[in-house]
Amino acid sequence: MMDWLPGNFSDFWSTYSTLVFSVGVHALLALSIWLTLSCGLLSLANAAFMGIGAYVSALLTLHLEWSFGTVLLAGGIAPAVVALIIGAPVLRLSGVYLAMATLAFGEVVRITVLNLEITGGPEGLNGIPLATEGWHIALLLALTVYGLARLRRSKVGRAFEAIKEDEVAARLMGVDVDRYKLLAFVLGGFIAGIAGALNAHFTFFISPREYGFENAVDILTMAVLGGTSGLVGPMLGASILTLLPELLRSLHDFRSLVNGAILVLVVLFLPKGIWEPRRIRNWLNRNKGKPA
Amino acid sequence: MQLMSKTLVVCGALACAGLVHAADIKIGVAEALTGGAAQYGVTIRNGFQLAADEINAKGGINGNKIQLVIEDEQGKKEEGINVFKKLIFQDKVLMIFGPTLSNSMFAAGPVANAAKVVVFGTSNTANGITDIGPYVFRNSVMESDVLPVTVAAATKQYKLQKVAVIYGNDDAFTKSGYDVFKKVLEEQKLPVTTTETYVKGDVDFKAQLTKIKASAPDAVICSCLAEEAANIILQARGLGIKAPFIGGNGFNSPKLFEISKLAGDGTFVGSPWANTNPAPVNKAFVAEYQKKYNAEPNQFAAQAYDALYIAAAALKDVKLSGDLNADREALKNALPKVAINGVTGPFKFRPAKTKDGKPGGWDADQKPFIYVVQGGKFALHDAK
Repeated sequence: MMDWLPGNFSDFWSTYSTLVFSVGVHALLALSIWLTLSCGLLSLANAAFMGIGAYVSALLTLHLEWSFGTVLLAGGIAPAVVALIIGAPVLRLSGVYLAMATLAFGEVVRITVLNLEITGGPEGLNGIPLATEGWHIALLLALTVYGLARLRRSKVGRAFEAIKEDEVAARLMGVDVDRYKLLAFVLGGFIAGIAGALNAHFTFFISPREYGFENAVDILTMAVLGGTSGLVGPMLGASILTLLPELLRSLHDFRSLVNGAILVLVVLFLPKGIWEPRRIRNWLNRNKGKPA
Repeated sequence: MQLMSKTLVVCGALACAGLVHAADIKIGVAEALTGGAAQYGVTIRNGFQLAADEINAKGGINGNKIQLVIEDEQGKKEEGINVFKKLIFQDKVLMIFGPTLSNSMFAAGPVANAAKVVVFGTSNTANGITDIGPYVFRNSVMESDVLPVTVAAATKQYKLQKVAVIYGNDDAFTKSGYDVFKKVLEEQKLPVTTTETYVKGDVDFKAQLTKIKASAPDAVICSCLAEEAANIILQARGLGIKAPFIGGNGFNSPKLFEISKLAGDGTFVGSPWANTNPAPVNKAFVAEYQKKYNAEPNQFAAQAYDALYIAAAALKDVKLSGDLNADREALKNALPKVAINGVTGPFKFRPAKTKDGKPGGWDADQKPFIYVVQGGKFALHDAK
């Protein structure tokens, strides 16, 4: 509480800067999966895309000493290219089959990284210099949110919406379904890759186990918990899932238990996620109707 | 508004409660108390608590009591960084012990080093940990110090001519153990008949073991975690492999040889700590630990216990000025001079050799104990 006073702000920032960075990176990840979800695709490849971005960027920094800006860009482009290559065959699948195929892709990436010499194998890469600063994350998150908000209102966004609601109908209306799906998949990979590159440059160390199945599910959970109807939901979900364990730190041994219980309660009572504009509007209207 | 002021009063009261212990020496302990690495983290915490209680019962260090600030880092790298920052900037501890896993140390160690706070690992055996910087210490003995002694002892005992190797190739710990074994075997000119691999979670090793059997080695070197090692030993005996095993740090588990029963007899294991070490300080530690926690101590508890005594020995020579930064620096300068005779035997630090020649941290300079498994139990093969 006292931490919020200006005099103690530097103390607060020293203590919690990594946490704030994590919130930003997780928000980017949640937005990356929101993008594919908004096109009706249940893809679980985002953890793998994040991993590709993290490894590519970390290797460029460590071996070629590229500037951070170009490293970030490369960290986004590399997974986007991979997404482009695997997208064509994989996106012919839908629903759980797509989820399975993208999960399998994630395993392929993890095992490849595990067996390469240059990635350090299971021991991972350490000694990655600290390059990420708060404003990098804030700027990229703002750009992403702005870009996605514009995208939603554009022809592309409406096409995504149409595909999500009814793929056959969209196809009959003349929407090039395959191309739009691929676009969502590649853009999602790009955002996840940038998030991975940012993360690698403030945690000093990356290893293959950080980009496996559990993390793929974590990313999906953030988006679903927050609500996938808009851009606010995934960011809210990412913030909650990142901050909750830290806020509950004082509970010590009961931390994981309470954390899990809160998530279960949210899912039970708010199945469409926390941020659902229609429900909030209804609730506000009902309150307005009551005599003051 | 009233609620607000009440909260403030409570906060103020809490802050005052904190001031009462101002003479305490605050030491951070960041270990994995939940999650996959909790099996190590919890015993490490127990080791620290036991040592702290003993030191405080004897009047503390120069009259100052030790206060441990224990935090859970869950064995995750982000958590490790968060906990380190909380301990350094919010709790304002003098130094930090931990984290449990080498991976977490690679992530959190640079934070402490940049803040010029001593970070002291008790369970981080990976290469390159002390490359992080001059504020990084560890009393965990590296595999590269243990395995040459283990292999040499086994070679002498069994007159080994050639050996087979099996290891898990998707785990940081077993893979780095294998790398060390490989180097040791080259150095000691022991030919390898075949090298087999498995991945975490495998339960059937008959394919690899059949190949090993066909190559007729004199011993099987196994860089495995205890979970897989039990199955490997049992299935090897089932296939009729009579050669003894030589294990890395992962074999350091009494449970393993309870499960494998007599099948594991003759196995050579190197460890920084011996349960049966007859030194009085170790006997007292084992008895006290058992009394306090109603469980057998292990290597990790022993190393944590020693680590706090090492820090205490350094703190005895440090005049605490109350200026946190100066005190942290003084502790960093005092630690390398410490030499104690702890439960893991005689201990001192040696400067780390870093890859790029920059000043690094401090590694453990300690000889391992070599065990031979007899009747399903560890027996000391060769005292230090």
